[in-house]
Amino acid sequence: MKTNFLKLSILALTIFITSCSNDDDKKEDTTPAVVTTKVSNLPAPQTGGQGQTVGGAFTKFSFSENKIVTNDNWDIAFRGTTIIVNGGTKVITADADEPARTGSGAVSVVSGTFASVTAFPAAATFKADAASVYAFPSGVDAWYNYDGATHIISAKAGKVFVVKTHDGKYAKFEILSYYKDAPSNPDPATAVARYYTFNFAYQANSTTAF
Amino acid sequence: MKIKITLFAVILFVINLSAQEKQKDSINVNELSEVTVVTATRTERALSSLPLPITIITSEAIAKSGVTRLNEILNEQTGIILIPDESGFEGIQMQGLDAAYTMILIDGVPLVGRSSGVLDLSRVSVGNIERIEIVKGASSALYGSEAMGGVINVITKRPKKDIVEGSLSYRYATFNTNDANANILWKKKKFSANLFTNFYSTDGYDLDKTTVLKNVESFYNYTIQPKLYYDFSENLKLTLSNRFYNQKMDNVALIDSEIYKGDAKENEWNSQIKFDHKWSSKLYSEYELYTTNYKNDSFLNDQNNVLYDHTYYNQWLFRPEVRTTLSINDNKLTGGIGVNYESLDRTYFDKDVKFNSQYVFIQYDYNPTKKWNILAGFRYDNHSEYASQLSPKLAINYKFNENFSLKGSVGYGYKAPDFRQLFFDFTNPSVGYTVLGYNVAEDRLIQLESEGQILKRIDGISFDEPLKAESAVNYNFGTFYKKNKLRFDVNAFYNSISNLIDTGIVAQKNNGQNVFSYFNRSKVFTYGAEFNSTYKFTNEFSVSVGYQYLIAKDKSVVDNFDDHKYIRNAELQTIEIKKSDYFGLYNRSKHTANLKVAYTIPKIKTDINLRVFYRSKYGIFDSNNNQILDKYDEFVNDYFITNLAASKNITDKLFLQAGANNLFDYKDPDQIPNLAGRQLFARIQYNF
Repeated sequence: MKTNFLKLSILALTIFITSCSNDDDKKEDTTPAVVTTKVSNLPAPQTGGQGQTVGGAFTKFSFSENKIVTNDNWDIAFRGTTIIVNGGTKVITADADEPARTGSGAVSVVSGTFASVTAFPAAATFKADAASVYAFPSGVDAWYNYDGATHIISAKAGKVFVVKTHDGKYAKFEILSYYKDAPSNPDPATAVARYYTFNFAYQANSTTAF
Repeated sequence: MKIKITLFAVILFVINLSAQEKQKDSINVNELSEVTVVTATRTERALSSLPLPITIITSEAIAKSGVTRLNEILNEQTGIILIPDESGFEGIQMQGLDAAYTMILIDGVPLVGRSSGVLDLSRVSVGNIERIEIVKGASSALYGSEAMGGVINVITKRPKKDIVEGSLSYRYATFNTNDANANILWKKKKFSANLFTNFYSTDGYDLDKTTVLKNVESFYNYTIQPKLYYDFSENLKLTLSNRFYNQKMDNVALIDSEIYKGDAKENEWNSQIKFDHKWSSKLYSEYELYTTNYKNDSFLNDQNNVLYDHTYYNQWLFRPEVRTTLSINDNKLTGGIGVNYESLDRTYFDKDVKFNSQYVFIQYDYNPTKKWNILAGFRYDNHSEYASQLSPKLAINYKFNENFSLKGSVGYGYKAPDFRQLFFDFTNPSVGYTVLGYNVAEDRLIQLESEGQILKRIDGISFDEPLKAESAVNYNFGTFYKKNKLRFDVNAFYNSISNLIDTGIVAQKNNGQNVFSYFNRSKVFTYGAEFNSTYKFTNEFSVSVGYQYLIAKDKSVVDNFDDHKYIRNAELQTIEIKKSDYFGLYNRSKHTANLKVAYTIPKIKTDINLRVFYRSKYGIFDSNNNQILDKYDEFVNDYFITNLAASKNITDKLFLQAGANNLFDYKDPDQIPNLAGRQLFARIQYNF
C-alpha cells in the first residue's frame, strides 16, 4: 500500500514536472516573453508653434535598436507633441524637416493597461501616415490631454499604441510623460516640455502576440 | 485681538455666573399645541400629518445657537451644507443638489440676485426670524422654477396681540465682527407694525497671510425691514412689508501680479403688499403683489487710481399672485394664478433682457379619514423663453396613531435656464476665452467668424432647438415616530435629474482659446437617507442626532465607465480601476452628521448649547485625469466642527450670551477657503 502510494506520487510528480517543462518549452519555442523597456527623456524639440509655422528636425527612434537613429531604420519619430510613423507618405509635403517614409510602418491604438495588450490588433486597424492625416490620432483622440489653465500636457492613461515597425515587426508603446524627468505632477512654472518618457516592448519573433 | 475678545467673553461669563437673580421660566413651549407650517401647502397647515419631509427651525433654536446670518443657521441642519460649488460661490446643498435648485423665500416671496445660480444667504439676518421652514424635495408643483430641490421659507416675526415690545442687541465676535439689532413689535387693535434693523460689519478673515488677498475682505451691511399690518375687518387684512438691504465690501484683485482695489456694493429691495380676504368660513383669498430689485455694482482701480474694471448687475422681479382656498369639510382646495415679470441688465449682456411667464397651480389637500392625508397638485408655467412646464406632485401620509406615521411623495421639479445661460456674452480680457449664452451664441459666432477670430467651429453643434429646462423627478419615503422622551424621523430620497445644463466648447479661436456655450447634457441622480432623532432625558437635558447618507452620481459616467477606467499611478503607469471606484459628483460627502446637546444648568439657570458637525471626505477636482472623481483622486479630508454657546437671562429683560463657533479652530486653507478659524463671540440683549 505504502509503496503503491509512493509510486503513484512519483508518477504524479513526474507528469507534473514534464507537463510544466513542456509548457515552458512551447513558449520559448515560439514566443519568448517580450521585455518592457523604459525610455526616458527622449528630446523632441520643435521650432515655431503658437500660430507660427512648426519646424525642426524629428527625433527618430528605432524599437529594435532601442535608440535614436539618424538613418532610415526608424519606426516612429517625435517633434513637439507630433508623432509620425515610418510608413505611408509625408503628412505635410511642404515641411522639409519631415522625413520621407521609407518603411512599411503603421499604428493601431488599443485601450488597456500596457501589460494587458498581448494580442496584435486586427490588421485593418493599423493606419499609416497619409497626406494631411497623421496615423497617430489628433484632436480629441490625441495621445495627450491639454489643460488650458496650466498649459500642461499629460499623456492619457490606458492608451497603448501598437506599432508595425519599418521592417514589419511589432512593438507596443505607451507614453508616460512629456516632461523632463517625468514628474508625476508637472509644475507649470518649472516643468521642461518636449522630453518623452515611454515604455515599449518589441516583439522580434511572434507575428501574433507580445 | 483674540486675547481681547477672550477676556470680554470671560468677563461676560463671570457676570453670568454671579448673577443669581431668579430667571423667568424658560420660554413656554406648549407641547400640546399643534405646530403649523405654511410652506408645504401655502395654507396654514398642521405639521404632524403633512406627507412631506419638513424641517422647522424655531426662533428659540436660532437664539440659543448664537449665530447671526441665515447661512450659518442653515448649515447646522441635517442634510444641508453650505459650500462653494464649482462656480466658487458659497451656497446651499440639499439632498445632494446644488444651490441653484433651492428656492429661498422671505415671508413666502422669493429672493433674487444669484451669482452663477447661487444665492448668498449671508444677506439675510436672523435677528427677527419667527421660524424657518425647510421643505426638501421637488416643490415646483407650488413654486415653479428653482424649487427643484426644495424650498426654504424664512418667516419673520409679527405681533399677535396688543403689545409694544422689542429688543436691542449687540454681538461682538472675532475678526472685529459687529452685529447690532433693533426690533420693535407694536400692535393696537387694527394696526400693527414691526420695524427691524440690523447692522453688521466685519474685517473679514485671511487664512494665508502671505498672499495679498484675504479669503473674505472687510465689509459692512445693514438691513431695514418695516412691516405694517392693518385689519380693515375680521375678514379683510392688509400686509405692507418692505426690506432694504445694503452692503459695501472692499474689492481687491490680483491680476498679473498687480494689485487692483475698489468697492463692491449690493442693494436689495423687497416689497410685498398683501390682502387676506375671508369671503366666508369656507372661502379664503390672498392677493399679493411682490416687487424685488437686486443690484450690485463693483469697480477696481489700478495703482494709479485709474478705473480698470467696472461690473454691474440689476435684476427686477415683479409678481402679482392670487391664491384662493376653499374648505370642504376637512379638505382644502387651493388654487393660485400669477404672472412673473423679470428683467436683468448686467455687464456682459448685450442688452437689458426680459422674461415673462404666467402660471396657475391647483392643490387638493384631502383627508378621507383621520388616518389618511393625500396631497395632490400641479402647476403649469407658460414662459416666454423656454418650453412650458407642467409640474405635478402627489404625497400621501398614513397616521397609524399620534406617535407613528408613514409618508411618501413623488414630484416633478424643474429649473429654467437662467439669464446667464441664455444671454451671457463674456470674453476674458487676460486669457481670451469667450462664453456665450445659448440664445445669443449663433449670432455672436457668425460675428466672430466674420471678424476672423474663429479657427473652426465644432462639428454637429447647432442652436436651433431651444435650451430645455433642467428637470427632476423626486421621491421621498419616510416615517415619523414619537414615544415618551424619544422622537425620530427618517426619510429616504431619490432624485433623478435630466437635461442638466453644462458648458461645452463650441468653437476654437485663433488665439488658442475656446468659445464655450451652454448645453443640456448630463443626467445625474442622487439618493440617500436622512435621520433625525431627539431624546429628552429631562427638561434640562436633551440630545439630538442627525445623519445623512448621500450618493450623487453622473449617469453618463456610470453608463460609459470604460471612458474613465484608466488612470496613472504615482509611477505614471496605467492602472485600470473598477466601476465601484467611481466616487460620484464633486463636492458631495457620503456622510454628514451632527450631534446637538442642550443642557440647562439648573443651579445657575444657564443654557449650554453644544453642536458638533461632521462631514466625511469629498473631492473637489479630478487629480488623475480621467475626468471623474474616483477613489484614487485627492480628497478633502473629513472634519469636525464644534460650536458652543452659553446663554442666560439675567433678568426678564437682560439676556447674555457667549460662545465659540469652530471651537477647536479647524482649518484647511487650501481646500476649504470658506471655513474661517475659531470665532469667539459675546452678545448682550435688552428686551422691552
